[in-house]
Amino acid sequence: MWRGEAIDRRGFLKAAGISFTASLSPRSLMALERADAVYAAGFRESDGSFGIATISERGEIIDRASLPARAHGLAHSSATGRTVAFARRPGTFAMVFDLSRQTEPVVITSPEGRHFYGHGHFSPNGALLYASENDFDGNRGMIGVYDARDKFRRIGEFDAHGIGTHDMTVSDDGTLLIIANGGIETHPDFGRTKLNLDHMEPSLVLLDAGTGALVQRHGLPPALRQLSTRHLDIGADGRIWFACQWEGPRNALPPLAGWFSEGGDLSFVSLPEETTIRLGNYVGAIAVNRREGIVGMTSPVVGAAVTLDARTGAVLKEELVRDAAGVAPAASGIAVSSYDGQFNETRSKVAWDQHIVRLG
Amino acid sequence: MRMILVAGLISLLPAVAFAQAGEPAPSVDLPEAEVSKVMTAAVDGFIRPGYSAFHRSAEKMTSVVKTLCGTPSAANHDSAKSAFRAAAVSWAHIEIIRVGPVIEQNRFERILFYPDRKSTGLKQVQGTLSKSDETATDPATLATKSVATQGFGALEYLLFGTGSEALSREKNGFRCRYAAAVAGNITNVSEEISGIWDAPNGIQEAWKQPGPSNPVFRTGGEAATALLGILVHGAETVRDQRIETFYKGPEKAKFPKQALFWRSETTWPSVKGNIEGLAALLEASGMADLLKQSDRPILASTKALLKSMAELSEQVTPDLERAVEDPKEREKLDTLLFQGREVIISLSEGYGGAIGLGSGFSFSDGD
Repeated sequence: MWRGEAIDRRGFLKAAGISFTASLSPRSLMALERADAVYAAGFRESDGSFGIATISERGEIIDRASLPARAHGLAHSSATGRTVAFARRPGTFAMVFDLSRQTEPVVITSPEGRHFYGHGHFSPNGALLYASENDFDGNRGMIGVYDARDKFRRIGEFDAHGIGTHDMTVSDDGTLLIIANGGIETHPDFGRTKLNLDHMEPSLVLLDAGTGALVQRHGLPPALRQLSTRHLDIGADGRIWFACQWEGPRNALPPLAGWFSEGGDLSFVSLPEETTIRLGNYVGAIAVNRREGIVGMTSPVVGAAVTLDARTGAVLKEELVRDAAGVAPAASGIAVSSYDGQFNETRSKVAWDQHIVRLG
Repeated sequence: MRMILVAGLISLLPAVAFAQAGEPAPSVDLPEAEVSKVMTAAVDGFIRPGYSAFHRSAEKMTSVVKTLCGTPSAANHDSAKSAFRAAAVSWAHIEIIRVGPVIEQNRFERILFYPDRKSTGLKQVQGTLSKSDETATDPATLATKSVATQGFGALEYLLFGTGSEALSREKNGFRCRYAAAVAGNITNVSEEISGIWDAPNGIQEAWKQPGPSNPVFRTGGEAATALLGILVHGAETVRDQRIETFYKGPEKAKFPKQALFWRSETTWPSVKGNIEGLAALLEASGMADLLKQSDRPILASTKALLKSMAELSEQVTPDLERAVEDPKEREKLDTLLFQGREVIISLSEGYGGAIGLGSGFSFSDGD
């Protein structure tokens, strides 16, 4: 995930290389040249096929590639220029793209007894790829470790210390893996059915990235047992922001986001009632714009995009966005996509999937 | 484990609706009164009668198995087998409801533990038989044991599996008393579910009257989306779990003994029960009424597909080894897989799109 000002469009173009820009149509090239930021997101075509696209800040599609099935989260390494699209759970593929097109896409298949949960992250130098996975017969979340320098060979795995592992990220210095265990049991035999809504076990976990040793684990208090901790991003000050999806009574007003730091306790953001209602007790994606000190969250349930002050948690902005899907830091503010094809100011004839990653 | 206490972090919504200016338009915006009518029809015309019928058939099955135990004979064994098949089909009809009380407290798994690729249920039932564990002969204590030992899978092995011929000879033998306890357990669970749905101010009211203070559905759009989700997931289950578990196509590996109820030759009656359940929910709820007149042919084609699938499922041989090998039988399976896909698409894309879901893309959770 894009983490700040280290790379912009020029950086992206440099990483993508001449062969990438040479392959673009004049229209795509123009979209790229006038973009302040570049993103990638999964999508579904109107004919039902799936793909991944690079997108300008205005929302124009620059380039696209096919995927065998629906993708979910993405990871990008600015160090290597590689981008990964992870299959939506309970999918078993992850597709690695090289923006410079110097190497063919690599398909990673989850090992026997595991499926991807839809998220992952590169180590800061891009040498390792971590992926959230389900050991479904053992009913435990795992973090698969893949060697990006060796055709993404699987070189190990760590116990995620929870069930229903979903999003995961890596600290800026690469020493910690940060994991959101949603607490919901699923099994590929039962598709996407949630098997334990009456006894969920959500948790937020920090692991030593080198050894997989447990550094810190936060369970949730009994009153919030049905609050599934799902998505993560890291602020400029090292705060780990998390976003949640409530599986309890629909007329409750649970907290939907919060933050913590290494060694500290969880803090929940106290959202106004009307904001919680607009989010439909469900945050589908979260992203921090470090330069501006803001946090973006989206919810497709009612259709909302909310921006918070990353320092105080106060709501700065609320927008009505029908079918709101992904969020990512923009050159200014937060980029938002939707299932019905809206990406910032452009509507395309695709359905954008749940997550966006900023490439440059 | 680190845990902080978060007193007062969760509260309930005030009963008054937030209808102030600026309230976002929901993704699915349907007339609340029409949705309420459809949800009421779904609950009173399909869900409650479905659980009630299943409870009655489970009660009958329990009674017939008890008769077999007290008066063993080949005829009574056959009656028990017939009662099993009838209860399994009754369950298949309402099994498509995979939301609400049935998925709480492991009730679904206690009725049916499937798929079971590692044959956990078979091993555990055989273990119980070999030890003659008397605590498995009382539904109350059986209910505390592994879910794999207390539902239809276990009962099928006891009535149809290796050694079941003893049932027609041994009076009050262990196997029969265990079978009666399993039937009794299924009856108890079905009674519980039926009771929860029938309680006047409980879940049925929540389903019928979506609103801001409703613990299940805040808006009519959410309720209609959930109802559609039941149908889509139900159709996916028939195709992906009940058929593809043992047959994915002529060139793929085949596993006829992974099929649900292959021992009792109830695989296709069960599939037919699922399909007829989907068709019945579609019909009873009047979901078509939520569509514009011009969009209603979408559901007509869905119903035609379901009817065709139900008829075809009756024509497949119950001998599943032959069903996956014989080209003529395989053709029927391929057709069922194809039509199953068509049903899923027509519901999620066709109906979903027509009521305002983003091309059917967002009816499910974003994850």
